[in-house]
Amino acid sequence: MQATLNTTEPGKVTFPALDMLRSERNMIGAHIVMSLIALTFGIFMGPFQAFHRSPAFMASFAEFQIPVFSYYYQAVTVHGVMNALFFTTFFIIGFTYYVTQRSLQRAIKSVFLGWLGFGLMLVGLVLCVVTVSADPQDASVLYTFYPPLIAPPTYYIGLVLLIVGSWVATANVFITYLEWRKEHKGERSPLAVFATISNFIMWDIATIAVAIEVLGMLLPASLGLIKVTDPQLGRVLFWFFGHPLVYFWLVPAYISWYTMLPKQAGGKLFSDNLARVAFIMLLVFSIPVGVHHLFADPGVSEVSKFIQTILTLIVAVPSFMTAFNIGASLEYAGRQNGGKGLLGWIWKQKWNDPVVAAQLIAMLVFATGGMSGMINASAQLNIAVHNTSWVTGHFHTTLGTAVTLTFIGILYWLLPMIRGRKLFSTKAALWQVYSWGIGMTIFAASMGQAGLEGAPRRADLGNSPYLTDLAKNWLNLTAIGGAILLVSSILLFVNIIGTIFFSKQPVVEGAPIETRGNPNAPAILERWSFWIAVTVVLAIFAWGPVFVQAIDFNNGWNVLRYLPSGLQLK
Amino acid sequence: MVLNRLEKYWLTAVAVALGAYTAALIAGALVFGIHLPSPVGRIDPQKLDSTAFAQPGIHNIGGNRYEAYILAKMWAYDAGPDAGPVGAPPTLRFPVGSEVTFYVTSKDVIHGFYIEEHSLSLEVVPGQIARGTINFNRPGTFHIICHEFCGAGHQIMYGQIVIE
Ligand code: HEM
Ligand SMILES: [Cu+2]
Ligand SMILES: [Cu+2]
Repeated sequence: MQATLNTTEPGKVTFPALDMLRSERNMIGAHIVMSLIALTFGIFMGPFQAFHRSPAFMASFAEFQIPVFSYYYQAVTVHGVMNALFFTTFFIIGFTYYVTQRSLQRAIKSVFLGWLGFGLMLVGLVLCVVTVSADPQDASVLYTFYPPLIAPPTYYIGLVLLIVGSWVATANVFITYLEWRKEHKGERSPLAVFATISNFIMWDIATIAVAIEVLGMLLPASLGLIKVTDPQLGRVLFWFFGHPLVYFWLVPAYISWYTMLPKQAGGKLFSDNLARVAFIMLLVFSIPVGVHHLFADPGVSEVSKFIQTILTLIVAVPSFMTAFNIGASLEYAGRQNGGKGLLGWIWKQKWNDPVVAAQLIAMLVFATGGMSGMINASAQLNIAVHNTSWVTGHFHTTLGTAVTLTFIGILYWLLPMIRGRKLFSTKAALWQVYSWGIGMTIFAASMGQAGLEGAPRRADLGNSPYLTDLAKNWLNLTAIGGAILLVSSILLFVNIIGTIFFSKQPVVEGAPIETRGNPNAPAILERWSFWIAVTVVLAIFAWGPVFVQAIDFNNGWNVLRYLPSGLQLK
Repeated sequence: MVLNRLEKYWLTAVAVALGAYTAALIAGALVFGIHLPSPVGRIDPQKLDSTAFAQPGIHNIGGNRYEAYILAKMWAYDAGPDAGPVGAPPTLRFPVGSEVTFYVTSKDVIHGFYIEEHSLSLEVVPGQIARGTINFNRPGTFHIICHEFCGAGHQIMYGQIVIE
């Protein structure tokens, strides 16, 4: 049954509650399905990497090779690029299109731009996968692609297409929003749209730096147009982008927690205003903190490191505000559901609804991620954990669980909407959610401990000559976590394929969308030109000196590019 | 915008905690003299011959103080002939109580320089000199580990420090 487009006036659409319009189904469905294809490439590498890093596993299965992407660093490159860059971006854009048009009750402005952005990103994905498959030796430069390691040109072109495609998508959302504003003077936008706009503004500003790095340094070096690079400048450009990237992933998860979860849990949001303040803070403060990824770098001054540490503490504030706001909303929901006493509301959450459970587990794990994040952010403690497995443990609680499991929770209602059929198996979904929570807790905790014992990250450690016995034990435990996560990932894909191909029941629940903004929200919060100016000024203040120091004004770049297959080191 | 009472308490608690955290950071830097790597100077990786990295190794600069010049390359640290054969993981020896300042740079790609149990962690970026100082106060053997991805041999790039 296909709902038809029912247009009353330009831009105005009547959306079916339990179904999608054909236009939505195609465009949003395409983005979500591509995100799942990217996730397939990415996610299944994870457990095998964990096995490969386990000394006990490699002692028992000396011949073990990672399937498909058999060179270890090739697998890590695919895992990082597909999970962290392509899965997230495709999913976020698809989800955002849906949230924007349903919240504003009007179609996304340009179908053409929608497909243009999608096409660019799709070609980008294909180029990256093909390059890493065909030329593992050269293309395995990981998702951070630090120079002077130089991959084949198609790898960088793929990345550029991803970024340009995402710019097209953000432009599409902006023009849709601006048209809505013109017709709704003096109104406040729904919270989800408000958050999206602030997130996309941040993304567009932040990606400029990585676009400059790729187009100005890496791609020309890869094409042979230039023979030299500046690795320190490359790292500075990358991390201008790299930290906002983290919030680009997190904000859509927050959108679900703030605007959907309260409803799904059976309550309402505690404070809309504070939510808006939190999103504005994320826009303003997520760029001027990236130097905390460069604490160990020789070319960045201690003063800049200190300034950005302080700013990092400020960017933690909106997350503390979120913890309170969502906590209070869940308490309200729990009491509505009959929870009594001080903690009774906790047991009265919908722990047996996979959409809710996924988000609750995501939040519980995120709390530990927040704590380990505070350790990373401390300039002095960071030195003890920098580039060890601790860091990888940390971001599998944040990106790998808080964000990913929330996206999975979203998928459990969005995919049925796209398909027009009920979720294939609620039971499998619940097992998937809880096994993810358990597997990730084991995995992340033991990665963290291995890191404290000196196990480096991004290293094929199964046969490593330098690990202590303690580090080896912890790495063996990460493989157990990985095995549980492998089961969880299989359950996820069983449900995806089941829902798409085998589910027969109709959808019974509508999307948790809020179509009205809070009329009492302070108007200043939605004056975007003002916030853009604040963001840019703060970014220049925090990053200006770092760039001035990183650029060699006297001699220019002088580090030869390095192509891993050798020979061309000229 | 009106704040709920509990919300106010919560935000105050957050502000106090972050304030204490900042105070600890400042104390760490000023009172305990904990320092992060900071710029030492640039170096042209193609012209190392005219620098101290032409002959890596350890120099005693008086009393218990040492300087160690180390050159990182794919996939070994070169710490001079006294530290063992070229290309093999080097072994650096110092007496207990030594204060050692490490100067490290790279000839090819980015490497890492991490010393177990001693809070020294440097990104060894070609084109830059990385520096870090450590007081070795207890005997033992500690690995130097390359903790930045540097290509196919990254996981076998290490060295040893023996304090005796
Ligand atoms: C199925 C569960 C997963 C397992 C068992 C797993 C395992 C791993 C392991 C062992 C590493 C370390 C590789 C190394 O340092 O040598 C790693 C790195 C990484 N993982 Fe996962 N992972 C999983 C899911 C995810 C998800 C869902 C995401 C993001 C959406 C993700 C993002 C990353 C990223 C960005 C890295 C860093 C790659 C790099 O250092 O270049 N992982 N993962
Ligand atoms: Cu190395
Ligand atoms: Cu390395």
